[in-house]
Amino acid sequence: MNKSLNTQDNTSVSRREFFKRAASVSAVAASTVLLSKEALADDPAIMHHVPWGQKLGFPVTHNRYGMPSPFEHNVLRRNTKLLASGNFQASIAVAPIHELSGIIVPNGLFFSRSHGGTAIVDPNEFRLMIHGLVEKEIVLTLDQLKKYPSVTRTHFIECPANGGQEWRGPQFNSLQFAKGFMSCAEWTGVYIKDILKDLGLKPEAQWMLAEGSDNSEMGRTVPVDKVLDDAMLVWGQNGEALRPEQGYPVRLLVPGWEGNLCVKWLKRLKFSTEPYYCKEETSKYTALKPTGKAIQHFYANEVNSTVTSPSPEKPWKDVKVGDLIEIEGLAWSGMGTINAVDLSFDGGKNYVEAELKGLVLPKCWTRWSYIYKYEGKKLLLTSRAIDDAGYIQPTIDQETSVMGVESVYHRNAVETWEVTTDGKVNHVQIRS
Amino acid sequence: MFKLDRKFLVALSISAASLLAIGCNGDASADAQGHMSSSAKQSVYANGKAVIDGGVTYPTVNGKTSQYAVNTKIPSSGFNYGRTPTANELEAWNTDVTPWKLPPKGQGSVEDGEEIYEAKCVMCHGDFGSGGGGYPSLSKGNAYDLQKTLTNQRNIPDADGPTREFGSYWPQASTLWWYIHDGMPHPKTKSLSIDQVYALTAYIISINEIKIDGEEVDDEYVLDQEKFSKIVMPNVDGFEPKIDGKGATDVVRAYYANPKNFGGQNLNKGAVRCTTNCQEANATVKRIQGVGISDFLPPMNVTRDMPVEKGAPTPGEKDYQASCAVCHADSSMGAPAFGNKEAWAKVTSQGMETVYHNAINGKNGMPPKGGTDLSDAKIKDVINYMVNSSK
Repeated sequence: MNKSLNTQDNTSVSRREFFKRAASVSAVAASTVLLSKEALADDPAIMHHVPWGQKLGFPVTHNRYGMPSPFEHNVLRRNTKLLASGNFQASIAVAPIHELSGIIVPNGLFFSRSHGGTAIVDPNEFRLMIHGLVEKEIVLTLDQLKKYPSVTRTHFIECPANGGQEWRGPQFNSLQFAKGFMSCAEWTGVYIKDILKDLGLKPEAQWMLAEGSDNSEMGRTVPVDKVLDDAMLVWGQNGEALRPEQGYPVRLLVPGWEGNLCVKWLKRLKFSTEPYYCKEETSKYTALKPTGKAIQHFYANEVNSTVTSPSPEKPWKDVKVGDLIEIEGLAWSGMGTINAVDLSFDGGKNYVEAELKGLVLPKCWTRWSYIYKYEGKKLLLTSRAIDDAGYIQPTIDQETSVMGVESVYHRNAVETWEVTTDGKVNHVQIRS
Repeated sequence: MFKLDRKFLVALSISAASLLAIGCNGDASADAQGHMSSSAKQSVYANGKAVIDGGVTYPTVNGKTSQYAVNTKIPSSGFNYGRTPTANELEAWNTDVTPWKLPPKGQGSVEDGEEIYEAKCVMCHGDFGSGGGGYPSLSKGNAYDLQKTLTNQRNIPDADGPTREFGSYWPQASTLWWYIHDGMPHPKTKSLSIDQVYALTAYIISINEIKIDGEEVDDEYVLDQEKFSKIVMPNVDGFEPKIDGKGATDVVRAYYANPKNFGGQNLNKGAVRCTTNCQEANATVKRIQGVGISDFLPPMNVTRDMPVEKGAPTPGEKDYQASCAVCHADSSMGAPAFGNKEAWAKVTSQGMETVYHNAINGKNGMPPKGGTDLSDAKIKDVINYMVNSSK
């Protein structure tokens, strides 16, 4: 009955067989193994004293704010001219998810998108105005806002254009660019519903305008339904203050929904009966369908997944037939919690179930894993996630049959890595 | 007055939970594949309405929401933080312009708008709004004709795509007025007068060939608040779901309850997901054309080594990046592009003193000192940096 148990059983049987075979092979080759041990060159990393082991290290006063090892200097947000205005101000820099582990993105690598550059807000001059259809309109300083009872939640933020350059075919041979328009962090702030208990939301309120204080006064309309569910005003990111790129000192967090709704450098919340038609909810972030009609107010990032290891950036190296390799990936859904992830080795014809690992939280990155015995064959690795809201990732054909190829936003169809017999990884798509 | 009351919410969630027990795709029991959900979830909010985005919500049950413990002892009132905004403060920040909140009274002509456009906008948005430098174009011609391209799909090579310009795509003119007023021009936003915003709006409507109340918007046309209220954009009905009027959020709710509207795949309760032969028969492997998009900055690199030490920045480099690269980073705005040997050889052939003089006093499209308030000496440093980097 239990499929995953059976799978495990099969694996352990095959593993036993593998070791049995390996044992008989090594019995035959025992003498050569001994010989080759003597023939192996000594590793200087072991035989020599390493320089850092012989000289005194930096004092604890060095780098009062800790920095990554200098050897990690290539682990960076990256950008491309295709996705930029002018001099990279109204632009995006994407997260190096091929280098990340776990579900928390370090603050310096969290993807960054702005519509008028990164504002450096003086926290002493920060003011938040809450007005419109509330019984009591207020202005808060940062200290006053932080007095409200805080909550801490782990959520991803994803730009709905993640993967949006590839509606008509694969374009990026890179995990960072194909899926890096997102990151995940632990956020601390206050539920807006808790503030509204005090202010008294009028029953006719349907919408909330959230507006930033940045150069572009980036704004978006949020339905009150979501505000009263789980929308937060956040000031903490992975234990420290938000980074300027994430809206220091305060941003809106609308868990699971389009990243641009999480308005940064926040200054104003206004409640109203009618929506606002902000620039970024009309000219952009609307998904044009083949009918000529575009979806506006397209909120939740739908269930999605990707293989993170291997990736085009980090192919399989030094693998031999029979080696056990962990295939790893991420899954996420803005509509709920990841229930399961399937993995295909033939581009989506047949699937087996992968294992979830670590924390499995709502509207949050979830790690998954599958231990694969390398057979030396070419593979088409496709992952497919299922969430607890009842959604499964569509095939490319299923999604384009409704959305066409001009939508730009909200592409969540399954993606495929081709792994060649020498371990190289190519981004391909399986579609008609 | 509608104050959220904890007891009321609890009562509602109990009734919602009983609703769920008689069927709904969200419950806390096993799903179609035999997985146990890790936490209580509902597809309706505490008030009994369906979740607005087609997803689920996690009510607080036994002091927990999903896996998070919740402080359930927070009083529902008594946090009297902050203060009431003054009337002037409200007016200063309440700047939104919507179909229901007209811009302040004022006026501006197409002619004036063109003049302001040439002085403050053309360097990024191009001649007659044609675009450039990665900034959006503002018009590609007659908005009514271009609106008809919105059904275009680039399914085959060389097919024309849809034209999503202000005139052909945006549903409301209020968005334009509001954004120009609060977010333009990028180098100094919130610096235009009410009349200037009317003039620029008039100009942009004119180059999109949009009629107002049946009237053509020609050079002499003067846009004011009343005429503004009569603008009907060609693509006003081009969006779904409808978000205007009473009950609009319920319209949105109904839209996202149907995955067919947005290309979602619902795995209905009881349905078993496909694990064998799941692919469309005619599906094939599609590859990246050529190298695809690979102009990554910085270039992709996964090696672990010590970074190459960089010396102190060259004088002028920082000011160039902060103030001059906006126009000189490439040739799209007509300025000599950084690194373009040919262009800079031509510039320097006039002699460096002339180059300094022109930079300080302005030349062609470039205002004096490029619109910066850098000292003469700093401008010379920037020039030296640009010239030396373009040899």
